[in-house]
Amino acid sequence: MLVHGDIAGIADPEPDRDQANSPQASLELIHSWRREAARRLFGTPELALAGWGVAWLLGFGACCLASSSTPRAAFPAWVAYLILGVASAAAGVISTVETVHPGRGIIGPSRRVALWYGWSWGLVYAALFFLILGLAVQGLPPALLARLWPGLAVLVGGVLYVAGGALWQDRLLYLLGAWTVMVGAASTFAGTPGNFAVLSLAGGGGLIAVAILLVLRRLPGRSGA
Amino acid sequence: MSPDPAPDALRDLPSLDPVIHAQPRLRVVVALAALGEEDQVSFPRLQQLVGMTAGNLSTHLRKLEAAGYVRVEKTYQHRTPVTYISLVRTGRRAFEDYTAALQALLADAPHLTTRERVP
Repeated sequence: MLVHGDIAGIADPEPDRDQANSPQASLELIHSWRREAARRLFGTPELALAGWGVAWLLGFGACCLASSSTPRAAFPAWVAYLILGVASAAAGVISTVETVHPGRGIIGPSRRVALWYGWSWGLVYAALFFLILGLAVQGLPPALLARLWPGLAVLVGGVLYVAGGALWQDRLLYLLGAWTVMVGAASTFAGTPGNFAVLSLAGGGGLIAVAILLVLRRLPGRSGA
Repeated sequence: MSPDPAPDALRDLPSLDPVIHAQPRLRVVVALAALGEEDQVSFPRLQQLVGMTAGNLSTHLRKLEAAGYVRVEKTYQHRTPVTYISLVRTGRRAFEDYTAALQALLADAPHLTTRERVP
């Protein structure tokens, strides 16, 4: 019935003799290989999380330094935006590769869920860009814009993590989303440049912390990952 | 050589599913079980995942298919034949039973059959 290497009457290349394991070895194989197979099939979410964590840490950190007036700004604002833009683009590439690459050759519901979820990030952030652009064009004062756009950018990321946590029944992802949503909202109370410091440390730091937690959980000898 | 020899190691473990107990097929079943219930994986991707030659994988898939554990579906994508493999519900249950049997065997006296212990 198979296309590949299916030649009728060929001798079994791997007879079952000597291949039956002890129950202990079989159980160990199941545990270790299940984890490894899942990693190869679904990618490593900690890479994308760490990528966005670093992007927020560096990008918003740079924005904080650029908009600080005491004693004086460390560098001009365009440098900060450039750092945020480049770091976000790199994180976007990592996320896309980590979604698309492991799923090759797989079709079915879980593949569709992963792709649709991935597309919603691009869709939502594109819409957010135009929302901020619209407000700027309509004359929203720059002082308000500087509090609004970074807080919204982080809040929207948190919303998507909450959705992902609900979708895959992933408690850690859901908690990360809840934390990120609150960080984004709370940052607006800090004023500028304090809001950038909050988003950089609490927002980016939260993502990096969860990425580290996922790596630790994946280490051998830890079951139930 | 007989077509499907009874391995010596299985003689003591009569209730462990011999279709799944062979190490290469166990690897295939675990990999397929990691996917969702209605997900399918292409033959080359599965081959790369479990690290077997196409011939070996075909052989093991044929045994799993004969046991009613996997479904092998041939289809066309852009006029190229593609084979997709999935673990059907019977296979998923057999794998769960097999894992439970292993755990019961290890928890209890090794000489007793697991059938008496697994609910």
